[in-house]
Amino acid sequence: MSLGKFLALDKLSNFFNVIRQNGGIRASLYKLYRQDDVKDGVLVGEDKYGNKYYENPRFFYSRNRWVEYSDKYYLNYDGSQVPAEWFGWLHYKTDLPPHQDPSRPHYKWMADHTENLSGTTAQYVPYSTTRPKVEAWEPKRKDSV
Amino acid sequence: MLRQPLSRALALTSPVRAAPLTARRFADQVQAQPEKVEVFIDDQPVHVVPGTTVLQAAAQVGVEIPRFCYHERLAVAGNCRMCLVEVEKSPKPVAACAMPVMKGMRVKTNSDLTRKAREGVMEFLLVNHPLDCPICDQGGECDLQDQSMAFGSDKSRFTDIHFSGKRAVEDKDVGPLIKTIMTRCIHCTRCIRFASEVAGVDDFGTTGRGTDMQVGTYVEKMFLSELSGNIIDLCPVGALTSKPYSFAARPWETRRVDSVDVLDPLGSNIVVATRTNEVLRILPRTNEEINEEWLADKSRFACDGLKRQRLVSPMLVDSRGNLTPVDWEDAIVATARALRDCPPDKLLAVAGDLADAESLVALKDLVNKLGSENTCTEQYFPLEGAGIDLRSSYLLNTKIANVEDADFVLLIGTNVRFEAPLLNARIRKSFIHKETDVALVGPKVDLTYEYMHAGDSASIVKDLATGTSSHAVARRLEQAKRPVVILGAEQLRGPEGAALLAYTQQLALKLHDKLADKSWKVLNVLQRTASQVAALDIGYKPGVGGALQGGPRVVYLLGADSGVVTREALPKDAFVIYQGHHGDVGAQIADVVLPGAAYTEKRATYVNAEGRAQQTLLAVSPPGKARDDWKIIRALSEVVGERLPYDNLDEVRARMSEISPALVAYGDVQDNNYFAQATALAQSLQKPLSGKLDVKLKQLEDYFMTDPISRASPTMAKCIQAVIKQKQSPY
Amino acid sequence: MSARQAIKVGTKTVKPVLSSSHAEARNRVLSLYKAWYRQIPYIVKDYDIPKSEAQCREKLKELFIKNKHVTDIRVIDMLVIKGQMELKESVNIWKQKGHIMAYFKPTEEPKPKNFLSKFFSGNE
Repeated sequence: MSLGKFLALDKLSNFFNVIRQNGGIRASLYKLYRQDDVKDGVLVGEDKYGNKYYENPRFFYSRNRWVEYSDKYYLNYDGSQVPAEWFGWLHYKTDLPPHQDPSRPHYKWMADHTENLSGTTAQYVPYSTTRPKVEAWEPKRKDSV
Repeated sequence: MLRQPLSRALALTSPVRAAPLTARRFADQVQAQPEKVEVFIDDQPVHVVPGTTVLQAAAQVGVEIPRFCYHERLAVAGNCRMCLVEVEKSPKPVAACAMPVMKGMRVKTNSDLTRKAREGVMEFLLVNHPLDCPICDQGGECDLQDQSMAFGSDKSRFTDIHFSGKRAVEDKDVGPLIKTIMTRCIHCTRCIRFASEVAGVDDFGTTGRGTDMQVGTYVEKMFLSELSGNIIDLCPVGALTSKPYSFAARPWETRRVDSVDVLDPLGSNIVVATRTNEVLRILPRTNEEINEEWLADKSRFACDGLKRQRLVSPMLVDSRGNLTPVDWEDAIVATARALRDCPPDKLLAVAGDLADAESLVALKDLVNKLGSENTCTEQYFPLEGAGIDLRSSYLLNTKIANVEDADFVLLIGTNVRFEAPLLNARIRKSFIHKETDVALVGPKVDLTYEYMHAGDSASIVKDLATGTSSHAVARRLEQAKRPVVILGAEQLRGPEGAALLAYTQQLALKLHDKLADKSWKVLNVLQRTASQVAALDIGYKPGVGGALQGGPRVVYLLGADSGVVTREALPKDAFVIYQGHHGDVGAQIADVVLPGAAYTEKRATYVNAEGRAQQTLLAVSPPGKARDDWKIIRALSEVVGERLPYDNLDEVRARMSEISPALVAYGDVQDNNYFAQATALAQSLQKPLSGKLDVKLKQLEDYFMTDPISRASPTMAKCIQAVIKQKQSPY
Repeated sequence: MSARQAIKVGTKTVKPVLSSSHAEARNRVLSLYKAWYRQIPYIVKDYDIPKSEAQCREKLKELFIKNKHVTDIRVIDMLVIKGQMELKESVNIWKQKGHIMAYFKPTEEPKPKNFLSKFFSGNE
């Protein structure tokens, strides 16, 4: 064991490394506020929505891959904002991130990813498809005519 | 034309048939009763008039003989053979419906021979009748089903149908009301007899013989009648079923509520069949005094109009001039503010065609409390002379059932066939079965029977009244023992209305003076709508003409949808309140819409053209936020600050009886008099008449849509399309 | 019914439920009241209801006074029996919080009385 390690100097250098990687003290404090965590890691890729995916094998399994959500979400980030292609990498279904995996299918009919819209105005609300027993009269609108 | 000999007519008025009518025999009609004969039905002795059939004699002692073709209101056909009974000393079973009784006849309706005969008939009928009861609309109310359970065999010897199949017949298209599944037909010919005897349409008949026999119209055509729906009720099997009601419900699922029809002025008795708060169909309810057991097509099939174009929420005009749904509180407060701010002489209330007596009373009380006397109805009636002070001037005084006893009917400016189809059916009945003749002053229309057409100018009435006419009609009127004069209320609208009424009254009085039987009423005025008589009884002024001249600031439309009140006729800043159940003419011009209940959704009183008060019962609840009409006015009165002194229906009816006891004498109709006084008061109005009489409803296609309910009905729209299409076809 | 029978029915002494005199019935009512009164602190604690002991005592008094017009001994006895049953259910925690709170009717809305409020509430 080196002296540095014995004096926990590597932790100290890690600490400065993390702050440097995250863009200084101010930016690090902002990240800490925004996602309760600042880590150092390798930027593996970025999806079309601006989310960044990092990996650092120094952390133990299940913490060594993470996502930093795009700045535009600010505090309103949510797990469903990770698109399906990155989901697999993030959850260790595959080790190949989407842009390095040639075997992934790309069809033009594939729908764009949508996040979970529950709780927003765009959420799905179930509605009755049966016809009402009594059809109400709709008065003629004067402004539209 | 189908006119029967006197013997047939007598047979039709045999005691069994006439039993409900005995109350209204007139003094000079009492004939010497022929000696009764004694017959024995299952060893029970019964005394009946000669000419009675075995089936009717059995009915008198409470023995019901099964039948398919026999119907008490139709001619006897005797072709179904289901009523076979054993008669002692007769070698063969006898058809009870066609066999007149003979002295000492001993009939066995439950002997082995009788039962075997019935079983045999059932077996024959079921050879070719499909066993599709599970998908048949008649299932549950099918005579064949019931009688095969009661009298049929458990097996059939006609096993060849397993190889050859049953007889199959192509379905006919007889219009948008009646669905035909002709394979199910058992050839009872009830529909044929109804069409030719009651409806007066000789289109139906049979073609072919034996297995090839078919009931139909030979070339495919629509059943062009306003009474066509009745053949659905008459059909003992599922051959003729209701098209709008097809595959909708089984009879045991529905809740049946007795009610009264309001789509024509006669107030036919109906049964409203509902399920899960939805009106499914309307059937006639027997009332010998009004509709017998028939029902007009509009009354029967317009019920789907109750589910469309409904007002389900109060509406208030917003800043942009659009009607927007609001809460009751807002609508009532806005209405009350308008009523309170209105000078009394600028307030006008107009009652429409389907308004019930309760809401009419409440509205009149409210308007009077606010200091206004402007309550009117949409239909016009002359106020000159006796006006509406004498009830006899605006009622059908002869009464519907008594028209059968008339020997001459003079129709003035009315197409009874479409204005009151069942009254026309009565006239036709007496025309066919008795020696009644009919004359018409007015446009030539098809009344389904022959009549003397006296012309269409109003002066003919004057000539008849003053005795200067040399027309054949005048001679016949002179000779008539029980004449009836029916004046269409529609003719009284114009400037000559008062004079026409005056002459008609004089004519009726002149005829009445000559009668031996003074209890016979001659003068009849046939109103056009179900609400008019009650409104006039309550004291509404007929016609809005005068009231509109005054430039009303606030107009309260109580279901007024005839288009009499228009935006153009009102001042620019007039505030229009519409209370009613359908979004029709009235709601379109309204500033506030208060949703009321239709006639199936409230317990309400209607007075028919005879002056008979009847009540509808609540069959389904009003849709959405709609409320009982009188309650809306009662709530409004409290917010206005002129509280009406009634909180429940009984108290409203107590108030109604204060106004006129006739309004709450349910089912009764009072005799009206003062014809001479009315005529005397109208003496000065007898001015020369020059106009022509014209009626609105000339053709069948005019009949189907006359009020907000039928205008909202898709079935009625289909009927009009079908009639117009049929009229263009070469057949 | 003959006159004798009528007299017999009229003068028939009814079988007492519990008490044979008004004084006895009064004692039963008072002892029930006391039993409830003493139980109130435990009820408030055991059921954890958002009411104070004073409020509960007030409610207890109100419920008893509600029946003050009753004079028939048999009816009083029946009410006492019912009260005892309720008490036992409360003591043994056979009731739940909602059952105790039901005495206070916190969610009961008064029914509309006059025509206009009935009309606007949709009851008329």
